[in-house]
Amino acid sequence: MSKRKPYEFSKPAQSGKVFWTSLEAKADPEAHQQRAAAEFPHGADGSDKDSVQVGRRTFMGVAGAAGALLGLEGCVRRPEEKILPFTKQPEYVLPGIALHYATSVRSAGEPVGLLVTTYEGRPTKVEGNPQHPASLGGTDGYVQASILDLYDPDRSAGPAQKSGEGLKDTTLADFDKAFDALAKQADANKGAKLRVLAAPSQSPTTLRAQQALLARFPQAKIYNYEPVGPANAKAGAKLAFGVAADAFYSYRRARTILALDSDFAGNEAGSTRAAREFADGRRLSSARDGMSRLYVVEPGFTSTGGSADHRLRLPASQIGAYLKALAAELVARGAIKEPADKAPADPNAQPETSAAKANLEPLRAAVSGAKAPAGVPEKWIKAVAAELSGPQSEGRSIIVVGSRQPPAVHALAFALNQALGNIGRTVLLHPPLEAEPTAALDGISALAKEIAGGAVDTLLILGGNPVLDAPADLKFGELLGKVATTIHASEYRDETSLLTTWHVPRAHAFESWGDLRGSDGTYSIQQPLIAPLRGGRSDAELLALLGGVQQWRGHPQVRATARELFKGKGESFEQLWRSTLHLGMARELPPTPITEVAVGGDALAAALAALPAGETPSAQNLEVNFAADPALFDGRHANNPWMLELPDPVSCISWDNAAYVSAATAKELGIANYDVIRIKGAGGESVEIVTWVLPGQADNTITLHLGWGRKAVGRYGKGAGFDVYPLRTTKAFGFGTGFSVEKTGARYSIAQSQETHSMEGRPIAIDTTLEEYRAKPDFAQFRSPSLSTLPLWTEVKYEGHRWSMVIDLNACSGCNACLVACQAENNVSSVGKEQVARGRDMFWLRLDRYFVGDDEADPQIAFQPVACQHCEEAPCENVCPVNATAHSPEGLNDMAYNRCIGTRYCMNNCPYKVRRFNFLDFTGQVPETRRMQYNPNVSVRMRGVMEKCSYCVQRIQEAKIAARRDNRRLRDGDIKVACQQACPSAGIFFGDLNDPNSRVSKLTKMDRQYKLLPEIGTQPRTSYLAKIRNPNPEMQG
Amino acid sequence: MSDAPIKAIGETLLLPETTTLKSITNSVSRVTETKAPRGWWILFLLAASFTGVLGLAIAYLAWTGIGTWGNNSPVAWAWDITNFVWWIGIGHAGTLISAVLFLFRQKWRTSINRFAEAMTIFAVICALIFPGIHVGRIWHAYYMLPIPNQMGIWPNFKSPLIWDVFAVNTYFLVSLLFWYTGLIPDFASLRDRTTSKVRQFVYGFFAFGWRGSNRHWRNYERAYLILAAISTPLVLSVHSVVSFDFATSVMPGWHTTIFPPYFVAGAVFSGFAMVMTLLLIARSVFGLQDLVTMKHLELMNKIMLVTGTLVGYAYAMEFFIAWYSGNEYERYVFINRATGPYWWAYWSMVTCNVISPQLFWSKKLRTSIPLMFVISIFINIGMWFERFVIIVTSLHRDFLPSSWGNFSPTIVDICIYSGSLGLFFTLFLLFIRWIPMIAMAEVKGVLPGSQPHHHHDEDEEHAAHGAPVAAPAE
Repeated sequence: MSKRKPYEFSKPAQSGKVFWTSLEAKADPEAHQQRAAAEFPHGADGSDKDSVQVGRRTFMGVAGAAGALLGLEGCVRRPEEKILPFTKQPEYVLPGIALHYATSVRSAGEPVGLLVTTYEGRPTKVEGNPQHPASLGGTDGYVQASILDLYDPDRSAGPAQKSGEGLKDTTLADFDKAFDALAKQADANKGAKLRVLAAPSQSPTTLRAQQALLARFPQAKIYNYEPVGPANAKAGAKLAFGVAADAFYSYRRARTILALDSDFAGNEAGSTRAAREFADGRRLSSARDGMSRLYVVEPGFTSTGGSADHRLRLPASQIGAYLKALAAELVARGAIKEPADKAPADPNAQPETSAAKANLEPLRAAVSGAKAPAGVPEKWIKAVAAELSGPQSEGRSIIVVGSRQPPAVHALAFALNQALGNIGRTVLLHPPLEAEPTAALDGISALAKEIAGGAVDTLLILGGNPVLDAPADLKFGELLGKVATTIHASEYRDETSLLTTWHVPRAHAFESWGDLRGSDGTYSIQQPLIAPLRGGRSDAELLALLGGVQQWRGHPQVRATARELFKGKGESFEQLWRSTLHLGMARELPPTPITEVAVGGDALAAALAALPAGETPSAQNLEVNFAADPALFDGRHANNPWMLELPDPVSCISWDNAAYVSAATAKELGIANYDVIRIKGAGGESVEIVTWVLPGQADNTITLHLGWGRKAVGRYGKGAGFDVYPLRTTKAFGFGTGFSVEKTGARYSIAQSQETHSMEGRPIAIDTTLEEYRAKPDFAQFRSPSLSTLPLWTEVKYEGHRWSMVIDLNACSGCNACLVACQAENNVSSVGKEQVARGRDMFWLRLDRYFVGDDEADPQIAFQPVACQHCEEAPCENVCPVNATAHSPEGLNDMAYNRCIGTRYCMNNCPYKVRRFNFLDFTGQVPETRRMQYNPNVSVRMRGVMEKCSYCVQRIQEAKIAARRDNRRLRDGDIKVACQQACPSAGIFFGDLNDPNSRVSKLTKMDRQYKLLPEIGTQPRTSYLAKIRNPNPEMQG
Repeated sequence: MSDAPIKAIGETLLLPETTTLKSITNSVSRVTETKAPRGWWILFLLAASFTGVLGLAIAYLAWTGIGTWGNNSPVAWAWDITNFVWWIGIGHAGTLISAVLFLFRQKWRTSINRFAEAMTIFAVICALIFPGIHVGRIWHAYYMLPIPNQMGIWPNFKSPLIWDVFAVNTYFLVSLLFWYTGLIPDFASLRDRTTSKVRQFVYGFFAFGWRGSNRHWRNYERAYLILAAISTPLVLSVHSVVSFDFATSVMPGWHTTIFPPYFVAGAVFSGFAMVMTLLLIARSVFGLQDLVTMKHLELMNKIMLVTGTLVGYAYAMEFFIAWYSGNEYERYVFINRATGPYWWAYWSMVTCNVISPQLFWSKKLRTSIPLMFVISIFINIGMWFERFVIIVTSLHRDFLPSSWGNFSPTIVDICIYSGSLGLFFTLFLLFIRWIPMIAMAEVKGVLPGSQPHHHHDEDEEHAAHGAPVAAPAE
């Protein structure tokens, strides 16, 4: 290799061009040449013997040394990052600056309005839309987790056609061709053999598309089915009043609430709003305030049951009988009477009269003489009836029935609500979208019958997973084989897709246009946040395509629907459309409540007469009841690691479901925790599942959570839990009796996020009764020993902000939404069952659950969300040897991840045990698609680093920057931390203690405010407001 | 004339009458000069293979993460810190024997001090592994050292872990210097005895040109005395500082003022037990009964009896204070220790540490070699359990019952612990093989007729007795 020489200037040839670098060079090239040589003293020609020459050997030597240093450098892990500029800047998109879009999704059977945060066109976080009445700013956990479903790496990536035993990938073009051919073929007989199976739709656009389909194929039929949903309640309303009506309950206005097998604040339809209203009805600013009283009758503990003032363990099969007996008592008390001339004035002033022209005689006759099921204490009839019929409850009570109860029980509850004057006041009715409500099983049973009869040759299944979740005795999987062409539109290639002839990817709610109408009539638009990642289509699009609609795409369809709805609303459509998109709901379409209903006579009486008496289950004749899982719902989140890991709020079991039984029943059956049992139904169906003894479970009942143990599921859900759908038949859909249990002899390990269930008599999640609160308003302080430790260091004066959080335990319903929200906001890892069992879960915010009460079989529950308390005298900070956790000038206990070496000393010394350590590499294996969900403003932590709640410091900074930009002071409420934002019951508050008018300043001055473990002297910034229960004195003893 | 003081206080001679200067040099040096016995090779290969296991386990740990251990939340420290404290504690006997007993003119220490000091060094080496590897990001462990950096971030001097870093490093350096200083005359003896060029060079190098001159002895004695004086407070301070890791925290079961003296007593206790275990083996394998007599062993047993009883008192006092404080968390922790899921660890600890040394009240039992061997092993086990009990039972059930959990070790935990034992024994076997395991020069000083320290005119004595000691001619 020749040695390089510096460029030499030489005098140009006479005729040549003069090349010059500067005027000097031009003027005197020779002098310049000398200067240039001096500039490169190690003249490369080798003549200068003293100079360092970079020869081969020197080079190898230096390179070797540098390489060795590089090797050392290699010990320090640095992420490899590539950045690319936008060559053309899209409008509004600024890296690191979030945009929020209003949209809505249907969660647990009810639309919820949302604001979705996107960064650079990438949705990352779901929040409730405060303007939307079904959200009021909060969400449930399902909605929070839905963002991760969007990025699920195991979502179906494209259409597929059946080929032999499996599915063969095809293209969307192939599918469209086949779809078109099917439609042409069906034209011949007007769709006489074409059927559509879909979840009951609350989307006007989807219904329009259905109409279009039926217009093209008048003989076709559309059936509705969903495994968990409010269908029975709707059918019950029709049975009670003779008209179809959607009901929602205003728990805020209610004084007495009787929840029968209803987890209304947990995972029943509309729970987000219900939780908020229920919390509002119990919000106490001082001991003088009043609060509602909640009676819960249910077979297995739900989080709503945990909030109850009185809770009765009763098998689900006896709920109807109980309500009949209660109705009989109400009749005996004369409470079931035709309303007087004028119904009491409605506080909401919407409906004018509530009860009119009621014919209550058949109802009275049907219930009279009904006896309460064995084992129901008399006070649960007498005292409850007395309170419901008392003057103070007039029009201010609610009887709410869970969705798994049959329509007749719902109907009876509606009739009683009507008789008690609640309709139009606490129970609000609205006309539903579909005119003819059907009970939960009507659609799927009719379809099964048609298929068996050979009446179907083309079946389009929109969403859902009927092969998994249809009643087992219908054998839906086998039936599919009898249909020539089956098309399944689904986010996943699931159990149903594997048995259909065509699979087509279904767009996620965040990828498609749509609209929704809530049970209170709120119209909201679902706008896509991102183009379909996997090329999916929405239900409305598929229906319209099949129906031959020209403008089949979601956007024109929704606009067409909206144009119809907005007709005659004055302003221009574009203006209305834009404002609706912006707001997330249509203000211009006010709800139109049903004001005139009358309790129907004979149909109701007949249904009530047909209601089974409710024999008492026994160990040989067990009752099994099926509940939507608090995490997976009906199985739709079965591949969502957040939801798989989310602990059940009552049992604290993570990554599994279990057969919940009471201690007495377990003893009688000879089974114990970790035993795998076989539950057999009367029809020979059986499932194997692990036993879990749960306090508060009704004796001789087994509660099974749906959605686990999926076979055709992605990488995360594999092997998690037990599939209980095979036990769920048309006879035992919500619940059923006649089940028996045998031990298999096998054992199964369970991972729990919390293994101790008693507070050990310590003042931790403090609660008391309203009576005691009134007698001693500072009871929460009383039970906490006063601060006795002097601070170690000079106390810091916080001049600027002094952030603080207040958690009102009275509002907490244990719904887990805050946990998922925190996980989504802060890029918190899921760690898997094995690690949870080892106690290495990463939840920055955890929900502690304690059983309270003397009766081990029938305790109460105290929920307590616990995150970093941001102690002013933080014990974790003193002990960190490397200063990786330190106090900010605003009093935040900050983590410097880059500085942390992971001694875990802080974790040991944290009395609240809120610090989370990356014991293993929990983030390195996260697939690329899931990383798209990461919040770009929060570091992703590597293994060996400690992490914990930061009070959402990124949100604090964002709000401060916004305030600075607008040249104004930060206002109270500018900052909403993730858990606070998600909390459906508005039980978490965040703000500045240095602002005397802030919400938190006022709340921390409340009498029932207390700090956790104050005697250690940590001076936490997080306060709790003690829980108050409101028991009925007549129910005592 | 020189043994008069010993006789005067009614004690017997420390060494048999037959022991001579020459016999001491011969019997000690011989071990390093002859071919290693087959038994040594077997033990060495065994220990070295365990050291290999340690290396592999640490590599796996560094590659995969702390999650390969059983540590969790709430038990964020478990076997790692248990092992650390245990090893540090074991080291203490060495310093106590060599420094404190030296200052107190306990002549009997001379037969065992080299041994004990070597043990200190190796135990501290084993201990030092753990703070290094127990952190989550091993490659950043140097953040704990006060190295100036452009970020201007220093270690947190409020953190007891930083105190620990300084205390243990100081301890290691001082112990090493002290040990090495004592070795210089003996290295010279080995150098002078050998005919092998290699040995002459190596021992000559380490002997620093020692010629046994008056001036050498004078400097040597001064240096030794000063180092002993520096080491003495370390005996108390190092384990006190280690105990601050726990005592300054807020955890019930840790937050205790009794910890510093309790830890020091425990450290001396466990250290003596380990010296005893090793010494009994070496004594019988290498036939050193003349140098390490029953009298030495009995004296050590008495120290174990005292420190064991002190430790027992501390256990009882912890319970008393837990009750007396009225602090319900504190009470619960102690009730839980004795009756909770780790009751077996607690009662193993009490049996081994408190009950078993009580047998030494009987002269017959404390002079029985098999019994003292068994008890010394018991104490080693018991003291490991003590640290396990303090760390794990305090952490696993603290303030909020919602966060309670349990700990169970993994195979990596076991490999690293047994590997650290392997490393210790590897180093020890190498030490026995290549370095005089008994301080020849010092033992010679307690022979009848050579008591330099009991004369007022020290310099003169050194000239008279010191010089021949190192002379190889005998």
